[in-house]
Parts: sequence; structure tokens; C-alpha cells
Amino acid sequence: MTTEDRLRQAQEALSPWAQEADAPEPVRLDIVLDRSHLPSAVAALMNIRWGYLVAITGLDLGAEAKQYEVLYHFGSGAALLTLRVRIAHADSVVPSITGIIPAASVAERELSEMFGIRVIGLLDQSRLFLPDDWPDGVYPLRKDAVLEK
Amino acid sequence: MTTGSVPKRFSIPIGPQHPALKEPGHFDFSVDGEVVTGATVRLGYAHRGIEKAAENQNWVQNLYLLERICGICSHIHATAYCLGVEKLADVEAPPRAQAIRVLIAELERVHSHLLWLGVTAHEAGFDTLFMYSWRDRETVMDILESLTGNRVNYSANMLGGVKFDVTDDNRKAIERGVNFLETRTRHYLNVVTTDQVFVQRTRGVGVITREQAEQLGVIGPTARASGVLRDVRVEAPYAAYRDIPVQPVIETAGDLEARFVVRLKELFESYRLIRVILEQMPPGDLNVRMPRRPKAGEAISRVEAPRGELFYFIKSNGADNPERVKVRTPTLCNMASVLVTAVGQQLADVPMILAGIDPCFSCNDRAVTISKAGDATSAVWSWQQLRQYSQAYYRRRL
Repeated sequence: MTTEDRLRQAQEALSPWAQEADAPEPVRLDIVLDRSHLPSAVAALMNIRWGYLVAITGLDLGAEAKQYEVLYHFGSGAALLTLRVRIAHADSVVPSITGIIPAASVAERELSEMFGIRVIGLLDQSRLFLPDDWPDGVYPLRKDAVLEK
Repeated sequence: MTTGSVPKRFSIPIGPQHPALKEPGHFDFSVDGEVVTGATVRLGYAHRGIEKAAENQNWVQNLYLLERICGICSHIHATAYCLGVEKLADVEAPPRAQAIRVLIAELERVHSHLLWLGVTAHEAGFDTLFMYSWRDRETVMDILESLTGNRVNYSANMLGGVKFDVTDDNRKAIERGVNFLETRTRHYLNVVTTDQVFVQRTRGVGVITREQAEQLGVIGPTARASGVLRDVRVEAPYAAYRDIPVQPVIETAGDLEARFVVRLKELFESYRLIRVILEQMPPGDLNVRMPRRPKAGEAISRVEAPRGELFYFIKSNGADNPERVKVRTPTLCNMASVLVTAVGQQLADVPMILAGIDPCFSCNDRAVTISKAGDATSAVWSWQQLRQYSQAYYRRRL
């Protein structure tokens, strides 16, 4: 299957939930989703055995936008699919995808401790990278994080 | 002696000072007798907050910072970052630079795989193999030092190209070294597949089936030992791999022995690639001009590190510093496989299973928390404080 075929296949599988679609590079496809549709979309991808979860990236869009963006990157051959979920700072909650991809647990734990984004349905909410004596409520990768003591 | 409730299972903590590896990581294994029934992991003992630090450094400074994520595969981190930033800036490094990047990457893979061979042989109690393979590894370390001036953190990359050329003298030295290593690797492949005592520790141990590998999202040599072709050099070639195709090495057994065979056979492929690059080295410049600030946008860069796919997500808003640099290292993907495959295995095999994925904790963990000796209070230091401390420390030593 060529890279274009793979991307087309992913786009078709995700069409019920896609709000916007964009191709930033020939091998990439970005799809914007509402967070409530994330588990269904990921399950649809896994049902057609489309690639594997490469990484989960958190982005803080800053004080003006007052939003976080969570990117779920999937790879299949050279094709790269990114599911983008935007959430407000005041309501930073995403559903867990570990019910579909158990190995996503480490990436979701990293997301939640670094950004303070609550991942609903993630069984192991303990810290993965930050030290035991790290102060509660300080999320280092937020843009407004104050790290000096 | 009390006859209260008998615990149904024991939990054995291993680490953070890890007995199997020279890097920190904490595992908790629950066991029933000698058999592992469950496993959990706690990482972060080598977490340095590099992703956060990258947001406060300019584009050039970051090259040096990110190269220090890992002491084994430093070059591939710098390459992934350079390729990503060059994509953002719409600049492509000249062909000669791309070839030199790949040449160093393959030499790095040789050193990394030989290092792994020694460590894992040591876990099996086969210290003779450990000593010999590390002696031979010095050959490639010498080559890397003569090329770049450094044994680790080669600093070969710059944004827009590479910093040095490969001379005729270098070429002869590399050819000599690779010929020697090829004979040695043939010998090691023979040893790890025929030595009866060693094979008892590896054959049928820690099996990851093809289905499991696909489901767990395992990557790199660990996936290729389970019959899953995941190799960025093959699937999405970058730099000089676009002109020099890589022959993937696949094994299907999925056990520890297959992981040995895959990595050793990959060494032969690396030797071949190194020879081809030296023969077909394109002439021309080593670098092109890069703008100081790449345009606003996002870039994803994927490269094949010795341990598997390395993923960089870089976001620019057109300023002096990147908006965000996300690094996903191969060990994070493969760690889940250890937790799953350890279950049902003998506790004594766990160090080997862990070493089998070639974990790199420095890569994996990336805030700086300092506990002063004799001082119970620990404090989180800023980058500035850390710098001042290090300067004062070295001034005292002079």
C-alpha cells in the first residue's frame, strides 16, 4: 500500500468524527476532533489495523488562546496521522485511550504530570518522570509554570 | 513465630540503582515463588527537564542541549533536531552533509550495538564475551574520535549541514576498522547462536509474539526480532538513506536469541552502508546558510536510532526560541513490552529481558532537583542557579 493509500484509508475511517482535515506535508494528515469522539476514532483506526501510536504531544497554546492541544501521533510506514484535540485551560480533561491501546498508559501519565491535564479512565495516575518531592499543582510544561523556588 | 495470614505474593523492588544496568530505573515485580506474576515501572531518576529547557534556549543552543539527551546515541538526537528545524526553515543540507550524517549515524549504531552486546552478555554471566566485545568496540570509538574529536557527543551536526569533512586518511582508517569488526562480528554471531550455556539463557526466553509486538507498539530491533518490520530508514528514508537503501534485518522467533541475532546482523548491514557511503561520497559543500529564526509552523522528524524510532515534534512561532520541542525516545515504546513479557518468566531471567530491549534511561527521562549533601532540604534549581553552581564548582577545583 502506498503512503497516499494509507492516508486515504485513515481519512475515510475517521470521517464520521473529523471536524477539520489538513495535510501539512505530503506524508502527513492532521485531523481535528472533539475530545468526546477521541476513543471512537482511535478504536476505528485500530479496527482497520492502521499503524501504531507513535507519541502523544501536549501543547500549551498560551495565555491568549487559553487552550491546550493534545496531539495523538500515529504512524504506518511513512504515513503520519495526527489527531488533534483542543481543550480549554479551565476544563483540561481528555478521555483515556488505554482501553484501546494499553501501551498508551506511559504517554498519558507523562501528559498528565507535565501539563496537569486530567486523563479520565487512566488506571495508573501515579508520577512517571517527576520526582516524589515535586510540589503538587506545578506542571512544568505549562507556559505559565513557575519553577523557581 | 506468628501464623497470621500468609502473603499470597511477594513484591520485589529492583532499583533505582539498577543491578542489571548502569542507569537508574525502578521496577516492582510481584512473584509467586520464582515466577513473575506482575510488574510496574517508575522512571524519571535521570529526568533533567530538557524539553522545558529547550523552550528557553535559542535554535542553535538547543542543538547542543538536545545532543546531550543521550550519551550513547547523541548524534541521532542532533540529526533528528536538525532535520526538523531545516524542514521548518525550508532549507536542505547539501548531499555531502547528508552522507556524513548517515556515516556517523551508522558508526554510532555499530558502537551502540557492540556496547549492548557486552552489557547483555554480562547479564547472562558471560563476562568473556563482554570483555572481548568492549575491546573491539574501542575500534569504532577510535574512528569516531579521529573523525570528530570526541568519543561521545560528537557534535558533528550543525543547522544546515555538518561541521567537518571526511579526509582520505579518515577513509582508510574507517575501512581498516570496519574490516576488523566484520570478522569479529561473524565470530560473535557464531558464539551467541552456538554456545550451549549461553543459548540456554536466551532461546525461548522473553518471547514477544508478532501479535504482541504489533499491539504493544514495539519498535526498533526489538520489533524486528518479532517479525515486525519497523525501521524508519526503510519505511520513510531520510538524509542519505534516500539514495542508499537499507536492507532490513528481520527474525521471527521473538525471543532473546532473536534480539541478539537481529542486532548482530544489523552490524553487517551497517558495515555495508559505511563502505557504500565512503565509495559514493558526493562532492560539494558541507553546509548551507540557515536563517536565524525558522518560520512559524510545526515539523515532525523521525529517524532510526540504534534502539528504534526516535520522534521529534518541533513547533516554531517565528521567534528566537522554539515554542515546543517534544522528544519521544524508543525506550518509552519498548518499556511496556518488558512489563508484559516478564510475567510468567523466572525472576532470574528478568535482567536479561530488560536488557534485551536495550533500554536507555537518560533518553527516556529528560527539572533538576538537587539535594545538597548533609542538608535535608532539597530545592528545585533554576537553570541560572545550576549554571552558577557549576561555574563556581569548577573554579574551586582549578
